[in-house]
Amino acid sequence: MKKVYLFLCLFFIGTLGFSQVRVSGKITDMMNEPLVGASVVVTGTTNGATADLDGRYNLVAKTGDRISFSMIGYLPQTLVVTAGTTINISLKEDSRALDEVVVVGFGTEKKINLSGAVNNVSVDQLKTRPVNNVSQGLQGISPGLNVDFNSGEPGSNPRLNIRGFTSINGGDPLIIIDGVPADVALLNLMAPEDIESISVLKDASSAAIYGARAAFGVVLVTTRTGSSDRISVSYNTFGSFGTPTVVPNKTTDPYIYLALQRLSEDNTPWTGVGTSAERLQWARERSNDPAGTVGVRENINSPGTWEYMGNKNWTDHFLSNSTFSQNHNLSINGGSKKVNYYVSGSFNKHNGQLKVADDFFDRSGVRSRVNMEMTDWLSISNNTSYLMSNRENPSFFNMQTLYNFEPTDSDKNPDGTWANSEVGRMGARLVDGGTETNTSRTFQTTFSGEAWILKDVLKVNAEYTLRNETSDYDAYYSKINIGYGPSDIREEGNNQVWKSNGDQNYQVLNVYGTFNKKFGKNALTFLGGYNQEQFRSDNVSLRRDGVISSSLPTLELATGTLFGSQNIESWALRGVFYRANYVYDDRYIFELNGRYDGSSKFPKANRFGFFPSVSGAWNIAKEKFLAGKFSQLNMLKLRASYGSLGNQAVGAFDYIPSMGSSLGNYIIGGERPLQITSPSIVSDNYTWERVTSQNFGLDVGMFSNKLTASFDYFIRDTKGMLTLGKDLPAVLGASEPRENAGDLRTKGWELSLTYRTVLGNSSNPINFSSQFNLSDSKSFITRFDNPNNSLLQYYEGMQLGEIWGLTSDGFFTSTEQIDALDQSSIIPWGALEIVEGWPKFVDLDGNQRIEKGLSADDSKDLRVIGNMLPRFRFGLNLNADWNNIDLGVFLQGVGKRDFYPRDYLYWGFYQQPYSGGYPHLQDFYRATDDNAAKMADHSQSYIDAGLASANPDAQYPVLQAWMADRNLGERLDQAQGLSIPQTAYLQDGSYLRIKNVTVGYTLPTKLTSRAGISQLRVYFSGDNLFEWSQIADFFDPEAVSDTNNRLDPAYSPGRGETSGYQYPYQRKYSLGLNLNF
Amino acid sequence: MKNIVKPSIFFVLLLLSSCNDEYLELVPETEIAVDNFFNTEEDLATYVNGLYSFPDFGIYYDDEATDNAATTGNREIKTIMTTNANSTTISSGWNWSYLRDINLFLANSPKANVPEMTRKHYEGVARFFRAQFYMDKVKRFSDVPWYDTVLTTDSDDLYKSSDTRAMVIDKIFEDYQFAIDNVFTDQPSGAVNKWVVLAYASRNALFEGTFRKYHDELTLEASANRFLELASTYSKRIMDGGAFAVHNTGKPSADYHSLFVSEDLRSNSEVIFSNISIANLRNSGFSVTVFGNYEMSPTRDLAETYLMADGSYYSTQPNYRTATFVEQFQRRDPRLSQTFAPPGWELINVSNYSSGSRNYVQQLNKSFTGYHQIKGFVNNTDQDFVNGLDVPVFRYAEVLLTYAEAQAELSIINQSILDQTVNLLRNRVGMPALQTGISADPVQAAKYRTVSNPVLLEIRRERRVELALEGRRLDDLMRWKAGKLMEQEPVGLYFPALGKYDLTGDGVEDIVLLSESENVPNLTSREVNTLGATLIYYRAGAFGSNTDVYLTRGNSGYVVATPERGTFQDPKHYYRPIPFNEVALNGNLKQVFGWN
Repeated sequence: MKKVYLFLCLFFIGTLGFSQVRVSGKITDMMNEPLVGASVVVTGTTNGATADLDGRYNLVAKTGDRISFSMIGYLPQTLVVTAGTTINISLKEDSRALDEVVVVGFGTEKKINLSGAVNNVSVDQLKTRPVNNVSQGLQGISPGLNVDFNSGEPGSNPRLNIRGFTSINGGDPLIIIDGVPADVALLNLMAPEDIESISVLKDASSAAIYGARAAFGVVLVTTRTGSSDRISVSYNTFGSFGTPTVVPNKTTDPYIYLALQRLSEDNTPWTGVGTSAERLQWARERSNDPAGTVGVRENINSPGTWEYMGNKNWTDHFLSNSTFSQNHNLSINGGSKKVNYYVSGSFNKHNGQLKVADDFFDRSGVRSRVNMEMTDWLSISNNTSYLMSNRENPSFFNMQTLYNFEPTDSDKNPDGTWANSEVGRMGARLVDGGTETNTSRTFQTTFSGEAWILKDVLKVNAEYTLRNETSDYDAYYSKINIGYGPSDIREEGNNQVWKSNGDQNYQVLNVYGTFNKKFGKNALTFLGGYNQEQFRSDNVSLRRDGVISSSLPTLELATGTLFGSQNIESWALRGVFYRANYVYDDRYIFELNGRYDGSSKFPKANRFGFFPSVSGAWNIAKEKFLAGKFSQLNMLKLRASYGSLGNQAVGAFDYIPSMGSSLGNYIIGGERPLQITSPSIVSDNYTWERVTSQNFGLDVGMFSNKLTASFDYFIRDTKGMLTLGKDLPAVLGASEPRENAGDLRTKGWELSLTYRTVLGNSSNPINFSSQFNLSDSKSFITRFDNPNNSLLQYYEGMQLGEIWGLTSDGFFTSTEQIDALDQSSIIPWGALEIVEGWPKFVDLDGNQRIEKGLSADDSKDLRVIGNMLPRFRFGLNLNADWNNIDLGVFLQGVGKRDFYPRDYLYWGFYQQPYSGGYPHLQDFYRATDDNAAKMADHSQSYIDAGLASANPDAQYPVLQAWMADRNLGERLDQAQGLSIPQTAYLQDGSYLRIKNVTVGYTLPTKLTSRAGISQLRVYFSGDNLFEWSQIADFFDPEAVSDTNNRLDPAYSPGRGETSGYQYPYQRKYSLGLNLNF
Repeated sequence: MKNIVKPSIFFVLLLLSSCNDEYLELVPETEIAVDNFFNTEEDLATYVNGLYSFPDFGIYYDDEATDNAATTGNREIKTIMTTNANSTTISSGWNWSYLRDINLFLANSPKANVPEMTRKHYEGVARFFRAQFYMDKVKRFSDVPWYDTVLTTDSDDLYKSSDTRAMVIDKIFEDYQFAIDNVFTDQPSGAVNKWVVLAYASRNALFEGTFRKYHDELTLEASANRFLELASTYSKRIMDGGAFAVHNTGKPSADYHSLFVSEDLRSNSEVIFSNISIANLRNSGFSVTVFGNYEMSPTRDLAETYLMADGSYYSTQPNYRTATFVEQFQRRDPRLSQTFAPPGWELINVSNYSSGSRNYVQQLNKSFTGYHQIKGFVNNTDQDFVNGLDVPVFRYAEVLLTYAEAQAELSIINQSILDQTVNLLRNRVGMPALQTGISADPVQAAKYRTVSNPVLLEIRRERRVELALEGRRLDDLMRWKAGKLMEQEPVGLYFPALGKYDLTGDGVEDIVLLSESENVPNLTSREVNTLGATLIYYRAGAFGSNTDVYLTRGNSGYVVATPERGTFQDPKHYYRPIPFNEVALNGNLKQVFGWN
């Protein structure tokens, strides 16, 4: 320590000894405006200063010192201190910011010259934080680009969407990877590290060049290319542990579970489970003395069979608290003047949450890009990738069953056999029931050539792509052994083998020419081209029962009949496209885009469509009348666009009434013969939906572009949506043909703000940047053939996502109240009795009856109580780095959304008495304390939980099974009781989630450069760390995003489609490494 | 040179991609258009395969909510009787896609290049299915619109009014007649042949004949006999055809039951049509819930319907209304113990819905009668056997009963007819023959007050017993205008008091009924009977009490099943409403008999 002091003293003495000069001056820009906050520093020291409001600075230095001047957005300069003490300097704007180019369809454009709504996504975090796939990294980072994961299952693909609801027939953004159309699945097979840039084209003008498939925007992904200097090698890796975010919280106390189950039944005319007094007694003993009471015993009333009294949360039993995932990516890029290359290999394994059996998704792939300059006018390149994926999981696996297990079940018998219970069967199936694998292998290669016909003026590009994807599905279902009793072990199920093989072939040819010329301040670009694509897929599925040996589950070694089916799909597209762009002095921008497209998915007469667009922009900040007036304003740009696009998101042959074949379900002559089903009715006028968009945008840059903001407002009309035509009598015997009969209007806006600054000591600064984005949209039906405004169909004026429901008015607390309001028409099954503690509703139409009106014109006691579509989606990304340490925090969420829960997962015994035990439902209406006789029956846990005491101010109604029965159906006309949405239990689905926090440390270059390492960064990262959300008490807030089908009021969701039952999402804790040579 | 090369590359590429229509002209490869189909016999057969529609294992549940079985489940007739039902709440049965499938076939079959006989055979099968389709419609709605063409979206007929029942029924029997005249007799197993058509035609002719006879609200009584005669004709043709016989191997205690738990009925002489399952090809839909306390349980009323083994009426037994479970099964028609699980029956295929293995002790439970059904229950844990279970959808026994009933309704029944029909069934189970000239059973007469002929009453009994729990009961009650019988609350076993009871028939007590105030003793202090089995304890009480079993008088009486059966409104509940939405779309459709 002493040595350090000594050194410091010497240092100060030393510095004092040299010729000290006071240096001062003014820092300005090229227009002579002061640059407030610009920093000055003596290089190699901590000695520095910051410019004041007039741009003035002063500091002490020595003659001969080098001092450097810097400012964000400007090119730094370094000068040597001479005898003079005043140094005035003007810094040049860093034109890289201005010259920043953005990838657009079939080319690039300078960001400053964009007139459409294009968002250039920051892809840094695809490398710096641990993401398993690309779309995970895209969630919440681009305004208006919505990424919804409907499941946390390994390898599951999210739904990508741009600007909210698109069409009642769906319609997703077109994803283009290196100029070739792809889909989300393929995007997610890519290594995120291979991505150079991502552009999101949101409006008609930027997307029109893709015509009939780009109606709902385009996501343009460009991969990394080689460089023409030295070889660099990069290795990125991480390993992570995942735990489930939110899983159902259930009681494990057998008495509470069974007593509440029985109570719920006793309040109905039915007996579902009929738990006997004897069984309750066992439950009480097990609850009062878990260690001293057996959980499995031979049934005394039924000798030879087991009976169970478990006390376990089976969700925890089957779902692991920590599963390990890992990721590796190695890339090499380099080249010479003539040839450059980029090659990479990657591997990612994402383990699921299942504990007792293999449950994972892995992807691996190689990618190579090579570019050769053959002559000074011709270059040829190749872009090839081979991507593989593998999903493996048990053949029998049903999350819904798992979430619904009863705590009183057991998994094993005392003799080690699987228990004769739902839990035992699940255990047996997961472990012994066979596995299934889904694998895919995608090979894609693109050859492209670029020829300059007139140097720097006219070039022609040609690209040919071939993609071949094969997918395999192999599954084996094995019989399981269930122990019914000590000497009664039974085989159940079948020995079955499944095999499917799919082969997809896809070819794309693009040829286009680009003319580019400047005439003084006028810049002109013309682009014209041709595109054709063809696709064919052939899927074969085979199945055979009676597998002989479970160790060789093959089609060959099975005795049953071999069942097979084949499905072939094909489509083709052909189009010509153009772009004309005129820029005057980087101030006025005018652009035309368009495409003439033909698709095989429509009948010959309606096959071709023309999709034009126009856009313009005005860079106001460049105008002379502003020059010098608003010195802090660096950019001010107005944009507007208008255009029309097509939506061809329909089946390949939907326009042809044809008959499908299937295996008959009757055995005739000892076989199951083929059967053919009758064709559907197809309208004569079937064609594309047309989507017209208007976009108005504003871009602002201030304070040397430290603060930039972008705002876009849009109106998108989806016209001629294919829908069931006029409602016809059912005697027609078929669904009404789909016609282009519906219109929709979506309005919305997006805002993004970026703020970057340097804080603290100028020689050791904290670089801080933040990016915030917020977007919103609303959609309304503007035309639909529903003259009576039935609520069972879309109707004019309907806002998409609206939830019709009753208004809660507490509970009935007396028979007088029950008699005064007739709620009989909403009783489930028409058979439950309305008793004290039953939900009471506001009689909106004042007729002393609570009724559902099924027309918007006469909705009786129904009104719109909420909306299930997410509004105000936002993302906030905060980054700071200081002294080789970097910190990133990423927040993401939804500002407004409603969700009405259904099924066991929320309603437990209120739904049906077969599953439940949720602690939140223990707050149910109890008019009185239990009497002494009942008290004597209860376990201590039941009494301690307050369940034996009166609870008149409850959150939930009297515990009556079937009151929330979703099995009558969820559609408005079907739903009864608590299954009808109502205000008291409408959940606030908004959330704010800490999506990621990453702390990284880059080893000092001094240390690493000796080993030839240019960068070595280690980081620790946490994903989905925390969420603020009311709904997170019950579900992961992202698990209720599966609104797709539910938006259609005519749709009656099936049991498996209930929200919340999703495969659990993961909280992840990762350790990662970025290494560059 | 360079200046030529570059543009030419451009043009060659353009040429490659020249606009030809073929590029966009693709056709489905795994589906076929109507125009390319219906050419060969194979095509006709393949399409007709898709029209097959027969009941399956579900027949064993279909008596739920009639007087044969109680249910905790949801049955339309139960909903109608217990709730304020209307055309919004009762909205099923108005699906017409099956008719479209059939009419599409009939519109296209003439173009097939096949011999006329072949074409007419397949058309006959299709028209048979159309008759079946319309029979279901008439049963529900009485008057329905008749369509024999494929409707298009602009057909005016979409909005036509219903045709009269009389007209539609005539059309239905034209279809049956065409099928009878043209469908081949020799067909592969499981395929529709002439006998299948005749069997269904006879069933439905009897339905229509008796329906018209007893339902005066239709004012079609005058034409009832025409259909009773048709029923006689059709059933007699099957009887005279010699292709079928009652399955009788001389084992009165087993032959009957074996029909319902058979892995292969294809060669069974009694089965006119069976829904065939073969393990690993098409597994049966068998479910153990048919036996246990899941949703269904047979009623005491059904158990009391069976005769004594000597042919005498059960109602002649003293105190038969209060017979205990074991007493009820003594000296009865052997079909009782082949339909209900009798005392001492051995349960092998134990499930979560039934307790007790080996010597089965009837499990008691709230909402269930305590009787357990074994008809259709595979008491076997061999998975392949279970998967291969065949369901006898149409038995020759029913044809015999149809003939007997039609003859009796036409008042031309005689001993010889009884011997050719009912008595063949009685003979199989070792029951004495039914004789003309008997006196009526007052219990049976009270059920069917419109019937005075004692023989007809006995034919109805025979039908209920022979076809019990095979899904025929609801139709029978409907056509006999006996819907009121479903108002009777279903009850189960009778217990004269609390205490210990033998349920296995060995004289040793198996269960204990405690009062509501008593507690079930601890495991160790429970009574063990002389066979070494621990007694099963139940707390019994009045309906709604906090007990395991409800008895009608609280501490004695019948086991209460589902207490409220509601009201059967005559004649409204013999029909169903047209769904509200359909009447709104087509104002020409009218609801019948008070539905709205």
